[in-house]
Amino acid sequence: MFGFKNRRKELLQEIETHIEIETQQNIETGTPPEQARHAAIKKFGNVLVAVEQSRNVWGALWLENLLRDIRYAARSLSAVPGYTATLVCTLALGLGCVTAMLAIIQSVLLLPVDLPRPGRLVQIYAEERPEGTSASPQALSYEAIDALRRETRSFAGVSGYNTMVRPVQAAGEVRVNPLMEVTPGFFQTLGVSARFGRLIGPDDGKAQVAVVSDKFWRERLNGDPKAIGAALTISGKVWTVIGILPAGFQAPGMTGAPVAFLPVSAGPSGQDTFKIESAIVIARLKEGVSMQQARTEAQSIFAHSGHTYAEQHRRLGMHSYQELVTGDIQRPLLALFGAALVLLLIASANAANLEIGRTASRMPEMSVRSALGAGFGRLMQQLVTENVMVSVLGAALGGGLAIVAISAVRHAYAGKYPRFDELAIHPLVLFAACVLAVVLGIFASVAPALNVRRHTVGRLAARSTTRKSRLPGLLVATQVALTCVLLVTSGLFVRTLRSLENVELGFDPRGITTLVLMPENQRQDPQLSRDIETRLLHKFEALPGVQSVTMQSEIPFSNYNISLHGTTDVAGRPYKKGDSAYYSFVSTNFVKTSGIRLLKGRGFLPGDESSGAIIALVNEAFVKMYLSGRQPIGVTLRFHRDPGDTEADLPFTQPMTVVGVIQNELQGADLGAPYEPMVYLDHLALPKTSFLSAVFSMSGQYAVRSALPETAVATELRAVVKQDAPTMVEMSLKPMEEQISQSLGQRRLALRLVAGFGIVALLLSAVGIYGVLAYSVALRRREIGIRMALGSSRREAAGLVASQAGKMVLMGLAFGITGAWAAGHAVRSFLFGVKALDAVTLSATGALLLLVSAAAAFVPAMRAARVDPVETLRAE
Amino acid sequence: MSTRKINDQLELMKGTLDLLVLQTLAPGRAHGHAIACSIERRSDEVLQVGHGSLYPALQRLLKLGLITAEDGISENNRKARFYRLTTRGRKYLFAEASKWQKFSNAIARILVPVVE
Repeated sequence: MFGFKNRRKELLQEIETHIEIETQQNIETGTPPEQARHAAIKKFGNVLVAVEQSRNVWGALWLENLLRDIRYAARSLSAVPGYTATLVCTLALGLGCVTAMLAIIQSVLLLPVDLPRPGRLVQIYAEERPEGTSASPQALSYEAIDALRRETRSFAGVSGYNTMVRPVQAAGEVRVNPLMEVTPGFFQTLGVSARFGRLIGPDDGKAQVAVVSDKFWRERLNGDPKAIGAALTISGKVWTVIGILPAGFQAPGMTGAPVAFLPVSAGPSGQDTFKIESAIVIARLKEGVSMQQARTEAQSIFAHSGHTYAEQHRRLGMHSYQELVTGDIQRPLLALFGAALVLLLIASANAANLEIGRTASRMPEMSVRSALGAGFGRLMQQLVTENVMVSVLGAALGGGLAIVAISAVRHAYAGKYPRFDELAIHPLVLFAACVLAVVLGIFASVAPALNVRRHTVGRLAARSTTRKSRLPGLLVATQVALTCVLLVTSGLFVRTLRSLENVELGFDPRGITTLVLMPENQRQDPQLSRDIETRLLHKFEALPGVQSVTMQSEIPFSNYNISLHGTTDVAGRPYKKGDSAYYSFVSTNFVKTSGIRLLKGRGFLPGDESSGAIIALVNEAFVKMYLSGRQPIGVTLRFHRDPGDTEADLPFTQPMTVVGVIQNELQGADLGAPYEPMVYLDHLALPKTSFLSAVFSMSGQYAVRSALPETAVATELRAVVKQDAPTMVEMSLKPMEEQISQSLGQRRLALRLVAGFGIVALLLSAVGIYGVLAYSVALRRREIGIRMALGSSRREAAGLVASQAGKMVLMGLAFGITGAWAAGHAVRSFLFGVKALDAVTLSATGALLLLVSAAAAFVPAMRAARVDPVETLRAE
Repeated sequence: MSTRKINDQLELMKGTLDLLVLQTLAPGRAHGHAIACSIERRSDEVLQVGHGSLYPALQRLLKLGLITAEDGISENNRKARFYRLTTRGRKYLFAEASKWQKFSNAIARILVPVVE
């Protein structure tokens, strides 16, 4: 290496000459020849140290040493395959989990979305709970977008979209398909360009044109490059495909779906057909404009151009486009990353313990090397090299595991979670994992190295004394504590899942099948749609085996709910800002079919709709919030009219009379959501002049109660639709219980992952406890033997080990419970029906840990009990 | 004596030893043994640890370009390696020596017995 071999040889030769001259001189001064050389050598001192230090001056000695250390480490590690395998597997597990989670976080949350200058893209949304009528809590109106676009100086582009699901006919086949209505500036704002053809642009506002996603093109247009010009039939109108998007582009909220994009059907004044705030707004900031400046400007534009009182007083929020795309999964991913880090800590504690044990068994070797002239630094370098080698090996294996895991996750969830199709392990992540491994290796060497220092400073005799080190015990306690945290967290998730499964739904989902229908032609007369839907309702009711049927604009767990959220005046109560309720439109048999309990008054009756008055049912939450202490029956409700609102801004102006109070029922698809105040109206009573009648006739949602098997009900319902209403398209047909169980899917997945981490942690801790105790028994063999010779019993010997184990585990548990409380607090937003500090979970976890620890301590304790005092004494 | 102790002492004496080597080479070239003997005569402390510690110092000075090495024949007809000062080495020795001189003068003045 670098000609150092020759230089070394020369140096040795030179030293030899030196010694010879000295010998010669000694002989000349009268020393006997046989002693002369010996004296010369003695005078010269340690030849090897001199050579070593000279080489150090030449430089690159560290490299030479490193290569030698690596060779040596490889040899000595392969001599103890069991130890090496345990260590590498432990580290591979820990580093693998962390690498995989890091890769997911980097790909999904950190890497910018694949659009030009993505940092300038923002979403503008309504920050507080909207009042008035809106399609989603964050939505704004298309008029507002238009005003922003015209008056802004902060944005390079402002655009909006809303999503819906409609029957779409393409290449001669009708299928239910997600659609996105976009403003003409949408693609320009995002900065996307077409793969084939062109995209919707400023001149396409009124045109019957469509752009389709790559998946739509492949699935619905057979991936034909000549698909430009193809026709899509939606709601009886023909739309011409003008462009196909590149494969990498995923519209927000449309992960993995085949999407068709249409220009938004805005009215002459920029108003959309539904007159409600339904647009998600995406804007691109001009260079040099901060989010804060842009938000302030948008706020002031809203204040003077808003069309309704509510809109003028809307507080706007703004966050990055990335947040819009991945905001929902950010916190679960970070929580999982935390769990992976805890697992890595446990694995590192295990590794450190294993290394301490191994170094202790190598102490005689270290002492000998030290006596031969190896400096502490040199010994340390050897230890560090060995540990770093092992952890880098672990990181390599872990990296392999992570690569497999990531490709499996991408495969399984690419279409389910945003940006999971982009999952990949970037070199940066692998590099970070390697750095982590090296740091771990160095840290794991510190404790053993300090031991070495202590021993080599002392005398070789240290081999035969029993030294107690506190560190391994502390490390095990740490492991137990961390494992406790993971297990308690998974316990809390299990309890959450149980509580959610037992949540009081309000309605009885057993035997209910939900069916969603939509007219193929969305633009047909709302009255016609309503007539068809009502006719079907009666046909369904007459089916054999069907007990009752209801229509509902909002069915729990349906994806086709249309919810109306309206500010409400309650007669006899002064209106306060924020007084509002959700409105659901149902048919006469609603109470009977859903199995909901009627608490006061009556339900809807046939003939109510023709009585002229609009009658309403309210739920417990409504009574509690607005009618507490009053007789709710007979109270009149009205939609609240803000100053400046016209009649046309309200859904309708007629009063509603409360005739009954029903039990709270679950709303939406989140079992953990709190009950909101609800008002139920008969859909037939909805005034025909109200714009809502157009909205609510767009789809028909039926809940069918029957004792028949699910498949039989499905067949019957389909037959009726086919025969009586061939223009209605089936959007969804499912048993409600299946939908409930699906709604828990994400929580189940999270639980499985965290519980998986917990089980691995438990295994690692058990290995840690076993390792430390076994090592300690081996070290104390002599002590135990002497104790026995002096009259200690086998039981007492085992007790010695057991008490050592007990101390470690109890200390760990004490810290673990504190940690678990903190962790529970950190994940409390994921919890439902269970407190962050849950006695049942804590005691179950404690018991489990004690049991596993006892099992791990059993073998070493037995070994201690079997020590033969005679053998020990003989060895002395 | 343990290796570590030797290291500490070397660390302490490194500067002194370097200077002594340079000083020894000031009159002309010399081989390792001659240098060692010369230093031994002049200082009982520095080489007490053994002649061996001279060699790392020689390598260091070679690397710094203060001395050069050449092969030659010793007084008793052995092949040996001779060292001599370079110009740089001479300058360095002069500068360091006067620095030391100043320093030791200063120390001497401080340690002069105080006149009552």
